[in-house]
Amino acid sequence: MTMAWRIFAASWKHFARNLWIGVATVFVFTIALLSINILLGVNAVIEQVVVLLEQKVDVTVTFNPDTPEALLSQARFYVVSLPQTAEAKLVSPEEALTAFKERNKNNPKIIDALNELAANPLGAQLVIKAKHTEDYPFLLEAIRNPQYEPFIRSSSFDDHREAISRIQETGAQIRLFASALVAIFAFFGLLAAFNAIRVAIYTQREEIAIMRLVGASSSYIKLPFVLEGVWMALLSALLTAAGVWVVISILEPRLTTLFDGRDSGLSAFFFQNGTELIILQLGGLLVLSALVSWMAVGRYIRR
Amino acid sequence: MIVLERVSKAYSTDSLGLDDVSLHIPSGEFVSIVGQSGAGKTTLAKLLMAEEQPSAGRITIGGWDITRIKMREIPELRRQIGVIFQDYKLLPKKTVYENVSFALEVAGVKSKVIHDVVPQVLSIVGLDNKGERFPRQLSGGEQQRVVIARALVHRPKVLLADEPTGNLDTLNTQDIMDLLVKINAFGTTVVLVTHNREVVNALRRRVITLKDGKVVSDHQHGKYTLTV
Repeated sequence: MTMAWRIFAASWKHFARNLWIGVATVFVFTIALLSINILLGVNAVIEQVVVLLEQKVDVTVTFNPDTPEALLSQARFYVVSLPQTAEAKLVSPEEALTAFKERNKNNPKIIDALNELAANPLGAQLVIKAKHTEDYPFLLEAIRNPQYEPFIRSSSFDDHREAISRIQETGAQIRLFASALVAIFAFFGLLAAFNAIRVAIYTQREEIAIMRLVGASSSYIKLPFVLEGVWMALLSALLTAAGVWVVISILEPRLTTLFDGRDSGLSAFFFQNGTELIILQLGGLLVLSALVSWMAVGRYIRR
Repeated sequence: MIVLERVSKAYSTDSLGLDDVSLHIPSGEFVSIVGQSGAGKTTLAKLLMAEEQPSAGRITIGGWDITRIKMREIPELRRQIGVIFQDYKLLPKKTVYENVSFALEVAGVKSKVIHDVVPQVLSIVGLDNKGERFPRQLSGGEQQRVVIARALVHRPKVLLADEPTGNLDTLNTQDIMDLLVKINAFGTTVVLVTHNREVVNALRRRVITLKDGKVVSDHQHGKYTLTV
């Protein structure tokens, strides 16, 4: 118990009496952790952008004006029953006409041409949203079955096909790139932390050798350094958490404006994955600092 | 009692630190090991504190064979041999009190005992009012006194002093030597490694002279002589 207390106390004395080296090491640790978290945050926002873009995509199936109401309801019921469908909304010919007029209210030629017509030229529309963008081709194929095909005037799938596939490709590329960046930053961050500990211990190599000469055992010399590394890792994790919280508080309102009042995904990502992030980052840093300290001190313990 | 039986230390095939040295130093003796630079004095000191291992021969201290001492046993040996270095080897970030108490802390001595013993030892070396100072705030002589206090704190049977006056002026040298003689008077075996002629001649104790790693003379009341 006495020895444990002495090791504990020595670790804090080391830290206090080598304050600048300690502060520099904590700084490097914090920068490493912040880099990783910034990248994770950017990744989360990009993912949310992709999700929002995917949500904006839909497919509109336009039926002939004389399509029976019962068949329209049946078509909608059929589409909704498919597991790939997120939502299917039936737009009546009147609603379609109102929406069309609204969209073209600044184009008098189209409005005049519409007024010339005695009847509503537009048919009902079925607006389908898929759960995943890759499901659209299947849904379009499904609705074009022999039962409904004769009544379908057009579908907007072709218009969206290119946009859908571009979003899918871009999203996949962004996720891959961001994941690779996170991995690279994590690697270099840990490398920086590793070297910060080694430099801090290198500056105390003579002290380590003297401790040995006056009868200290290897573990009695090593453990205060290991604990000192642990305190520095904890302090850095605390500073990083505070830094991330401040950045989220500043950025979240601005991002919400950019996202038209929708969730930007930034705070949601950190709050939902908070426990895992803390365990992984703090745990990784703790294990690394303890292990590196143990090994680095060992280099300077001679006979 | 320190016994060296045909001890050799080779650093390379053509470089011998010690060459077939046999010595017998009884308990309570004050012995000076002298010789020119490269004679093997420091090698002998390093072997006695197990900083290095002999290439051949056998070393025993108080009946403990340290010839092939294991790494984990070295701290125990160091707690039984007080060592004084020319360059002090004090912990710069620890105060005088902490430097001395550290030697006891590493041995797991209880805090209450440390609080009793350290001031006593600091008083013996004349530093009872400088416990809170850091080594950089002390003179060379004072730093060497801290080293002696640290070496004494375990009440060692053997005190090994490797050029303890090498960095000191005449006045401080005399003070340190008086202290070593006083420590010897209490029954501690003192092994003094030095090339300081005046110090050795003033002592008039046993003098072992080394040359090229060999013992070339061993006189009970000897003087520092380099020609044999």
